[in-house]
Amino acid sequence: MSSETLAAGGAAPSVERQRRKAGKGAAKQLLGILGIIGFLATWELIPRLGLIDERFLPPASEVIAALVVDFGLTAFWVAVGETMKAWFLGLLMAVAAAVLLGFIIGSSEFLRKATNSTIEFLRPIPSVALIPLAVLLFGVKIESSLLLIVYASFWQVLIQVLYGVADVDMVANNTARTYGLGRMARIRYVVFPTALPYLMTGVRLAAAVALVLAITAELVIGSPGLGREIALAQSGGAISGMYALVLATGLIGVLINMLMRQIEKRILGWHSSIRSEVIV
Amino acid sequence: MQPDPTQPNTEATLSVRGLKKVYQTDGGDVEAVRNLTFDLRAGELACLVGPSGSGKTTLLKCISGLMAPTEGEVLLDGKRVTGPPKKMAVVFQEYGRSLFPWMRVRDNVELPLKNQGVPKGERDRLVDDALEAVGLSHVPRSYPWQLSGGMQQRVAIARAIAYQPEVLLMDEPFAAVDAQTRADLEDLIRVVWKKLGVTVLFVTHDIDESVYLGERVIILSSSPTVIQEDIQIDLPADRDQLNTRSLPRFTELRHHVYEQIQLAKKGHRPAAASAGETPVKGQRAG
Amino acid sequence: MRTARNIGYILGLPVLLVLVWWVSTLGSVNFFVPKPADLVETFGEVWFGDRFFSDVLPSLGRLVVGVAVAILIGVVGGVLIGSVRWLRSLLEPTLEFFRAIPPPVLVPVLMLLMGITDSMKVMVIISGCVWPVLLNTIEGVRAVDPVLSDSAHTYGISGWARVRYLVLPSASPQIMAGVRQSLSLGLILMVISEMFASSSGLGFTIVQFQRSFAIPEMWSGIVVLGLLGVAMSFIFQWAERNILRWYHGQKEVENAA
Repeated sequence: MSSETLAAGGAAPSVERQRRKAGKGAAKQLLGILGIIGFLATWELIPRLGLIDERFLPPASEVIAALVVDFGLTAFWVAVGETMKAWFLGLLMAVAAAVLLGFIIGSSEFLRKATNSTIEFLRPIPSVALIPLAVLLFGVKIESSLLLIVYASFWQVLIQVLYGVADVDMVANNTARTYGLGRMARIRYVVFPTALPYLMTGVRLAAAVALVLAITAELVIGSPGLGREIALAQSGGAISGMYALVLATGLIGVLINMLMRQIEKRILGWHSSIRSEVIV
Repeated sequence: MQPDPTQPNTEATLSVRGLKKVYQTDGGDVEAVRNLTFDLRAGELACLVGPSGSGKTTLLKCISGLMAPTEGEVLLDGKRVTGPPKKMAVVFQEYGRSLFPWMRVRDNVELPLKNQGVPKGERDRLVDDALEAVGLSHVPRSYPWQLSGGMQQRVAIARAIAYQPEVLLMDEPFAAVDAQTRADLEDLIRVVWKKLGVTVLFVTHDIDESVYLGERVIILSSSPTVIQEDIQIDLPADRDQLNTRSLPRFTELRHHVYEQIQLAKKGHRPAAASAGETPVKGQRAG
Repeated sequence: MRTARNIGYILGLPVLLVLVWWVSTLGSVNFFVPKPADLVETFGEVWFGDRFFSDVLPSLGRLVVGVAVAILIGVVGGVLIGSVRWLRSLLEPTLEFFRAIPPPVLVPVLMLLMGITDSMKVMVIISGCVWPVLLNTIEGVRAVDPVLSDSAHTYGISGWARVRYLVLPSASPQIMAGVRQSLSLGLILMVISEMFASSSGLGFTIVQFQRSFAIPEMWSGIVVLGLLGVAMSFIFQWAERNILRWYHGQKEVENAA
């Protein structure tokens, strides 16, 4: 048995191991980049080989070139700005309303029971059903987008807040009561921290939904923003331009996801650390 | 009983020869098991006991073929173990996580047999017998999570019995159940072992449990693990919680094992295994 | 007594809301808001006739086919990608990007590639609904409990049996969460594809009503979409309760402890 050789050289393998581990993470990233390159290469080849007509699916290189051109255009950034404005305002209104209502309804047994059936009925109604109404009321103004965005995002957040408020630990709540914490103090120190992770989940989901509805409104109704530009590019025959805009919406989606995860991590840092302590 | 590492014991069911396991972690390599060699004869009930962190679970994972040892080998009926062998069943400590929560008790016990292609009639008989043996004939339609911890572990044991293994490995199976349930389950293991004539390797950190259950107790040193001592338990074969535990011999054995474990915790290592070994800093109690 | 109170909880608020609506439209002749009675009458006239077969059923058919195919592709692909580590690393960033693209933009793209056809509309639903199922399945397959996995391994359960008895059930809570997202997305995409590019279907009909200022008819269409959403949600909940009975039971036990 050569047990002594390993016991003697205790430090060396650790360094090597760390290098190997860092290598593993890098290998994973490399594979991911390889995957993206592979996808772009496939996309490039399909029209080049004539599998799909270039008029309908331009090669990746052309689309990326069109996207780069877009990046230099003011009109592009104005459209992005319109979309993001609708997204942000809609999300903000939905979250504010949902948090307020969620805490009020969630902290009363009576209200929870009385509103349950109505919420379960209204929630699954697809917000696109409101498109005709939005057109009728607001036309192609940003309010049309906002109506759809707020309706869709509101339920995501409200449901999560209701779950969160219901998840309050009875022991924690009773402890707070025995130490004389009043109703407001309990909401501040017990209910809110419990519900916060749920709220963040709701906001993250709502952020994605809000973008979908913002683009939808622009695409179908024609309120200003990237969605309308896509519809215009398509009907105007600017096909590379259309694909470039589709890529741009995907990039915005990725950025929003990353942003939301960062915010969640920042705000809930304490949460995961407490969790892991309990488990160990 | 002092096995010779170079000569595999011919009558042994399970042989562990020169087993060594080194983990690679962020903080460098950790030698969990240094050099373990022992044999289990067919039909033996041996307990493996050691201080916490003595690599018991590692050893069990290597024996069951879930993990490849860094050096050395495990032989079952003379054949080298490279993956989980058909003749072996394992009962894990985490009963809540080793039973399939989406299957009822009966389906849980039946699944390995179904997977082996055992015909329906025989399967039913084996499952019934196994559930009967662990005293759970009345709950086949329940889900595992509807049962208490002790009953869940009985289901896991029934699943192992129904599989008809030659060797039954148990990884601290009763560490997470309450004391009274634990006593019941210990007796259950003795009964099952006698009835089926299966070879049992029972890993525990509980000294009383090892002496009460085992025909033989293998004491492990602290990590990196070697065998501290290997003793026969010469208690009468018929054991019961009250009388056996109050025998003077039980107290003696328990005392002995306890001392050995304390020595192991202080870093004392048996002369044979520590030969040629680099001293671990500050741990020579000698 | 108790059931009476429960019925009160379920019906109380809806009845109150309808009452408010009824009272507030009593005297007025608001062009945008129809009276409850008018709406009910219009609803019957508009939707229980030929339109049910010419617009509603075809829309529903496309929705069902699209969502079913998306779920199938998502689950099969997810199990495959989730079980093979290098494949997961290779594809994950690309798939994340595809999920981040707002699905409605697929409508103009697919319209271009496939023309305005039924299969285009089904394809819109498939290509939008597949991502939540796919990525959730990958996540669920990856998160199989190691102890459970070891148990299956020691009993020699591998290959298809492992997928059937271990991987799929263990990932099913996540898969169902993905399916839920897909269903509501599917409904949205069905409507959009018909609003944007069609001459029939629910979405098209509703927009037609709006354009011709047939307000009560338009409202009745909104109600149809709403009812459809609610019906799908109930069917899903029923299915989920049955498929994940073990999961909810286990969670309840854990929460009680």
